[in-house]
Amino acid sequence: MNSVIYNIPAEQVSEFRGQRIIVRSLDPGEIVRELSDECLDDVQFVRLLSPKVAPDALATLARWGRSVPLDIVLDDPASEFPLLYNFAKLLDKHPIRVTIAVKPGFGKAVKLALALHFAVKLDVGQPDPQLIDEMNDVLDVFLHRASVSQPVEYFHSIFLSLYRQEPTSLWIVQEDDPELYRFITDAGVEKLSPRFGGSGPAGITDAQAAESVTAGSRGELECDACQFLFACGGYFKWPDRNYECRGVKSIFSTIDEAAAELRESVAGLAASQGGFQS
Amino acid sequence: MMRDHLSVIFLPTNKCNVNCEYCFEDKTDDRMTHEQLAAVITKLLDFMEQGDIGSLTLHWQGGEIMTMPVEWFETAYDLINDLAHARGRHIEHGLQSNMIGYTPRWNDIIARMFGNHVGTSMDFPNLYRKLFRGGPNDYTRIWKQKIKMARDAGIGIGVIAVTNRETLELGAERLYSYFVDELGITDFQVNTPFPGGEANTTKKDLAVENEALGRFFNDLTDIWIERGRGRGVNVGPIDQLVARFSGKDSCLPCIWQMNCVDEFIAIDARGYVAQCDCWVTSYPEYFFGNIFEWDSLSDLLKNSPARKEFADRPLSIVDQDCIECDHLSVCHGGCPVRTYTYKKTLLEKDPFCSFYKTLFSHIDGVAARLALNGSLPDRFDQASLDVSESSSIGTDLRSIRAGARQASPHPQTLVQIEPRRQAIVK
Repeated sequence: MNSVIYNIPAEQVSEFRGQRIIVRSLDPGEIVRELSDECLDDVQFVRLLSPKVAPDALATLARWGRSVPLDIVLDDPASEFPLLYNFAKLLDKHPIRVTIAVKPGFGKAVKLALALHFAVKLDVGQPDPQLIDEMNDVLDVFLHRASVSQPVEYFHSIFLSLYRQEPTSLWIVQEDDPELYRFITDAGVEKLSPRFGGSGPAGITDAQAAESVTAGSRGELECDACQFLFACGGYFKWPDRNYECRGVKSIFSTIDEAAAELRESVAGLAASQGGFQS
Repeated sequence: MMRDHLSVIFLPTNKCNVNCEYCFEDKTDDRMTHEQLAAVITKLLDFMEQGDIGSLTLHWQGGEIMTMPVEWFETAYDLINDLAHARGRHIEHGLQSNMIGYTPRWNDIIARMFGNHVGTSMDFPNLYRKLFRGGPNDYTRIWKQKIKMARDAGIGIGVIAVTNRETLELGAERLYSYFVDELGITDFQVNTPFPGGEANTTKKDLAVENEALGRFFNDLTDIWIERGRGRGVNVGPIDQLVARFSGKDSCLPCIWQMNCVDEFIAIDARGYVAQCDCWVTSYPEYFFGNIFEWDSLSDLLKNSPARKEFADRPLSIVDQDCIECDHLSVCHGGCPVRTYTYKKTLLEKDPFCSFYKTLFSHIDGVAARLALNGSLPDRFDQASLDVSESSSIGTDLRSIRAGARQASPHPQTLVQIEPRRQAIVK
């Protein structure tokens, strides 16, 4: 088994036996039909491409009896978010994450997902200033609302990285790293992450993509001077290489401040208690 | 569809032996036969199999449960066990009674079937609970006698109290002292009024007094923290809210579930199925159907327009203003039956909203102070654990535990009628 994870349509499961896979479909029934017990170990998670699911289909997932992680995609979060209530009953049987497109009104979807105790991943492109404001609101909820018990990615991993002062990779966090993730179209064509503008290995070579990712955006003036390059790796310079990063950098800064504050608090507490007992 | 556990509020009789002025139930003389009981249990077991539901708790109440003979329960218990064992299932039982009809003859079945625990009700002061002959004082006197008898026999007692105007005027300290110091009750829950069913002058008096409720419950919280917490006194829903806001496992009452339609149903003596005891005894327009008229409970529920309204309620109201509320994760718009009773629609949030917010904010502060004082270390410990053990390169979905809600309510104790039985049994 190689290390690549293939994001495949459910109908192609049999062609990827023995590979690590993310299985996507609009229909929970199709997912249950296509995934036999033997291939469940290969499944990283199943991705439901829309929350608009008929009650009977949802019941199929509830009866499935396999604790396969479920990722629910909200592409139109402002209108679709109330539908998340329909999935709350699945929490006893499936780990659930909601992948939420960062579009106007997405904050409501994040708030409800967290209130329902779902993990969240933000599907973020290159946000404009209005979206940056909404992202800041969501970040504030993630950082400071006591009732939040689940991660909001990418905030969560960046926070941990900055707290520990360790490097991370936004490309991996966002499941877009070309060395790890491949997207298989409905027609069976292998592509890189849609973040690369729909390029396949024919459009942009693996080596080129990997170079772009691992080297961040060397030669891009803004990236060279950016204190967060170690975590971002030029992620926000795709697909538009001329994107201006001031907004996303403000988000990194807020996370950095929160991580520093926590580090200081933990150190202070440790000092006052004579060090933590392990 | 339910989650992994099914709770059924089960009313084998619609008959009652008292005459409380604020009762929401439309009482009848109907009583379930053992043949009908067997049919109901069989359909519940079918439903569990179809939905891959692991366990079932029957919360027995009425009407008044003790208007039925003890012998009926002895036969019923064996019958249920036989049916469940034949299907490889186990059924738990809980009991809610006004205790007015209690005699020691009940002791054996309470011990065997109901975990030696009874949930009952008493208000402070008692203004509205009455016998058919006699006033509230007579009711209270007899209730105290029966509670003493039961406790002397080793039966655990949990009490639900409903606030009234005098409760709020007298204040939380008086109520706490009455139950804990005077009666020795160490497990009680205080509920807001629910003037459902047919209107009368008493029910018109049970207005929504959010500000006064907020002050009362905040005071009760502080009193419990000072005098009861850690000393074996459980005061619901306050103790569970403190646990919840401290990041501990908690069991909040049914009014604050994500969607109560996923948690339980009620079945009455005539076989009518509805969302809960309040609905099945008060509002026929919201019956889901009659279990005796359907081959399958799944089909009954699936085809019920009323149940669909319940299922859709959180979806419909969340964008009104709940989505902006800091306490959405605790409340989810509150109780449908309280909403319907006061607003005549399901599609609004609970009329006690501002009281809930006051209480949640107060308890959030209390939990924070307890954490700072080292009295509740979990909040900090959990935070440090998360920071030290989590991966910083993405969240592996497989590492998120199914059912990993911050507070995982034990399904046996979701229903308000039977507060914290789990705490007593364990």
